[in-house]
Amino acid sequence: MAGARILAVDDSPTILEMIKAILVSGGYEVITATDGAEALETARAEMPDLILLDVMLPKLDGYRVCRLLKFDQKYKGIPIIMLTAKTEEQAMATGIRTGANQYLTKPIEPERLLEAVAEELQKAEG
Amino acid sequence: MVSDGSSISKDLTPEQFQRFRDYIHQHSGIYLEESKADSLRISLITRATRYGFAVLDDYFKLLTTDETEFRELMNLVTINETSFFRFPAQFEALRKYIVPEIVEGKPETSRSFRVWSAGCSTGEEPYSVAMTLLDSGLEGLGYVSEVLGTDVSTSALERAKAAVYPSRSLLNIPHSVTTRFFEPTPEGHRVSERVRKTVDFQYHNLVKEPYPLGLMGNWDIVFCRNVTIYFRLESTRRVVENFFNSLNPGGYLFVGHSETLTSVSDKFEPVEVGGVFLYRKPRARSAPHREVMKERVTPAATSPRASATARAGSRAGRRETSSTPDPTVVENHAVDVELLVSSARRASEEGRSDDVLTLVDEILTEDESNAEAYLLAAYSHADSGDLQTALKECKRSIELDPLSAASHYVLGIIYQRQGESDRAMHEFKRTIYLDADFVLAHFNMANLQRSVGAKAEACRAYENALRSLYRVPDGEWSWFLGGFRPDLLAQTCERSLIECRKKA
Ligand SMILES: C[S@@+](CC[C@H](N)C(=O)[O-])C[C@H]1O[C@@H](n2cnc3c(N)ncnc32)[C@H](O)[C@@H]1O
Repeated sequence: MAGARILAVDDSPTILEMIKAILVSGGYEVITATDGAEALETARAEMPDLILLDVMLPKLDGYRVCRLLKFDQKYKGIPIIMLTAKTEEQAMATGIRTGANQYLTKPIEPERLLEAVAEELQKAEG
Repeated sequence: MVSDGSSISKDLTPEQFQRFRDYIHQHSGIYLEESKADSLRISLITRATRYGFAVLDDYFKLLTTDETEFRELMNLVTINETSFFRFPAQFEALRKYIVPEIVEGKPETSRSFRVWSAGCSTGEEPYSVAMTLLDSGLEGLGYVSEVLGTDVSTSALERAKAAVYPSRSLLNIPHSVTTRFFEPTPEGHRVSERVRKTVDFQYHNLVKEPYPLGLMGNWDIVFCRNVTIYFRLESTRRVVENFFNSLNPGGYLFVGHSETLTSVSDKFEPVEVGGVFLYRKPRARSAPHREVMKERVTPAATSPRASATARAGSRAGRRETSSTPDPTVVENHAVDVELLVSSARRASEEGRSDDVLTLVDEILTEDESNAEAYLLAAYSHADSGDLQTALKECKRSIELDPLSAASHYVLGIIYQRQGESDRAMHEFKRTIYLDADFVLAHFNMANLQRSVGAKAEACRAYENALRSLYRVPDGEWSWFLGGFRPDLLAQTCERSLIECRKKA
């Protein structure tokens, strides 16, 4: 599903640029947010086809954002891929209960990221 | 579907891989296993893009007709490359001349012979050293050999510790060595217990200072071959300075056979033995730390390069301070601030924003015009989304140190976040003007250009990013990677480049 619109959320400018570059090279359109509140707002306003969500975010953490969207009829269909640091692996259990569709551990490998995105988009379509 | 997962691997077909591999094998003796295909591909693309080749077959033609290009490519290919008894003449010299000379000059009480292999990769070098020491009769004289291998690649260290090597890697060493120092195993050959027990491995990054105390002294020989060729001159100088300080008087530094210390250090005596060039630390103490002092008192720099040097100098000057003949109060005071700055930098690298801000406060109470403190604060505020404060701190940092590439980079990032693309672009250009190898500025510029459809410019910027990445993998820019791995940045650039070129 090339041309899909993806919301990428990360607080680090460098990582956000990196993610964006990877996604654009995969043929996707990318919108971004840098904190949890902005992520939620953008997700609601723009209805992206998929969300890449960092766990550690200012204002509202990634898990909360995920939960708020996944518990909302209107948005729960948007696939969410959470990005976690290795040390957060423990917290993953919480994330899974939050309803995230997939987890990727940082550092993000370009190929893995594109695979995961393609997979989730396909599932959501089918 | 995503269209390019396959196009990237298509870029080096199995036939092409074989062709390059065979050529490299024939002309350098290095045989690239299948598993190296990906890193070869990255190296090839990096080199090929330099000349604007879109097709690797065309680049192959250049490679086979241009000796210089072959050498350039080999520098990239050999990033982790190593072999047993690489450049055998050095091991000959070690056994025949160097070991006897060092033993001769050792104090009566000393009973150990210690060699450090810095940048040891997968262990071939330290094991070769250990085998050579076993053959040089040290044991008979009552000495215990200790060899330490250090590297930044943890996967290389794992393999070094396992000490099992494919039989192919033993092809070039004498049969007698194989039979005496290796045991056949199902997976290949394992270095024998006798050798292994004299060799130890440890993670260590040569460009991170200060070095752990355990490394900082009492070495008879340091091997550091084919490692610093990827470093900035500044870093190499620091590394060599550290080797100098940690070697015993009369100790030797072995560098790669195409490397020299010219313009790196003038503290060592060049020595030629058995056709091999080596560097010896003089026995009589010459006045050390002279250069460093000179660098530290350099007044405000007048050119970008000089400014970088002055900063690097003040960054690196920490350890020397304690051994400087006449440390003034001001100098001591500077030490604390430097330490705080380096802690703050580390906190920033690790994404601990709150710690950064606390440390910055401490730095500023000591030194209210510390440009780097403002810069770290700016980056930290940008990270937590407070762009207004970030902007203010960043501008302050630039006022204090207008020639800092990093400050302009961070300013660019802030503008980019605020959606001010033109201003951001302008700052990235400045960054590059001040430090041509500031990888992340090239990268962000490329992204901006791509987003406005300037494909050709974007391609060029991605190429520059890749080139600088290989040239200065440890540059100042790398502090702003935020835990992202440089190799993954390389992949990202490369992927973007290929995509961009398709559309350009
Ligand atoms: C080409 S290999 C050289 C191996 C061996 N010294 C030889 O000459 O055969 C370079 C090695 O340097 C290591 N290296 C690169 N940067 C380093 C650093 N900053 N600190 C320590 N090792 C580093 C790499 O991981 C790699 O294993």
